[in-house]
Amino acid sequence: MTLSKLIATQIKQWFPAPPVHAHCDGPCGVYDPASARIAAEAVLSMTKKILDLQPPIGNDAQVMAAYQNTMSRYIQIKEEQAQITKKELLILWTDYFKPVHLEQFPDLHDKFWKAAKLCSACKVEVSLSHANELMAAIKEIQEIFWTTKNRTDVSWYTAS
Amino acid sequence: MKPLLQPGDELLVDVRAYRQSSPNVGDIVVLQHPQEPNLQIVKSVTAVTTAGDCFVQGNNPSASTDSRTFGYVEERLILGQVVCRFF
Repeated sequence: MTLSKLIATQIKQWFPAPPVHAHCDGPCGVYDPASARIAAEAVLSMTKKILDLQPPIGNDAQVMAAYQNTMSRYIQIKEEQAQITKKELLILWTDYFKPVHLEQFPDLHDKFWKAAKLCSACKVEVSLSHANELMAAIKEIQEIFWTTKNRTDVSWYTAS
Repeated sequence: MKPLLQPGDELLVDVRAYRQSSPNVGDIVVLQHPQEPNLQIVKSVTAVTTAGDCFVQGNNPSASTDSRTFGYVEERLILGQVVCRFF
């Protein structure tokens, strides 16, 4: 070690510098898989509604318009909420989870990748099974998430 | 603030830099976060009003929370100017 480095190291030890932060999303630190769960619940709900909506009988233009309007709205909300679910999952995956968590949960990447894929499937399809699988995937992620925070008091629940 | 600053970099901050004059556009400053008590952040100054209030931004717009979120920062919250980085 050169003399100048030795002096610099000694000065740093005597006068440790206070930290400053370049990012504000880290120190805020407010993450919760509930955001993804709520959006996924909406996907599941809209999938059910789409499957349950009966097409009208007859050729009444107004009735047909009302049916198509309702169906369009269900589809639009399902796709929007599937995209939100994916976004919320990616925030957890890329911002909250760190390499140390991967050591604890080696299949973390796989779980997130599959959950994100399910978001895409639910967006494209009208699949009750995929919507239910998405909810199950988020439940697993929620359990991992709260385990990493050493919290045992957060139980899984759904709004609907 | 990558690539200019890396996590763990040690900075020398001149806390008297703005006693006589206001910050200038392009200065790298340490400031008190206007909404988070006890949080000091480092940003670039991208605009300064005649009153000395600063618009500060990170170097990575998509990853940074800065004046685009919390608006202009009063000059009194600017704690100093980053004058050099230790290697």
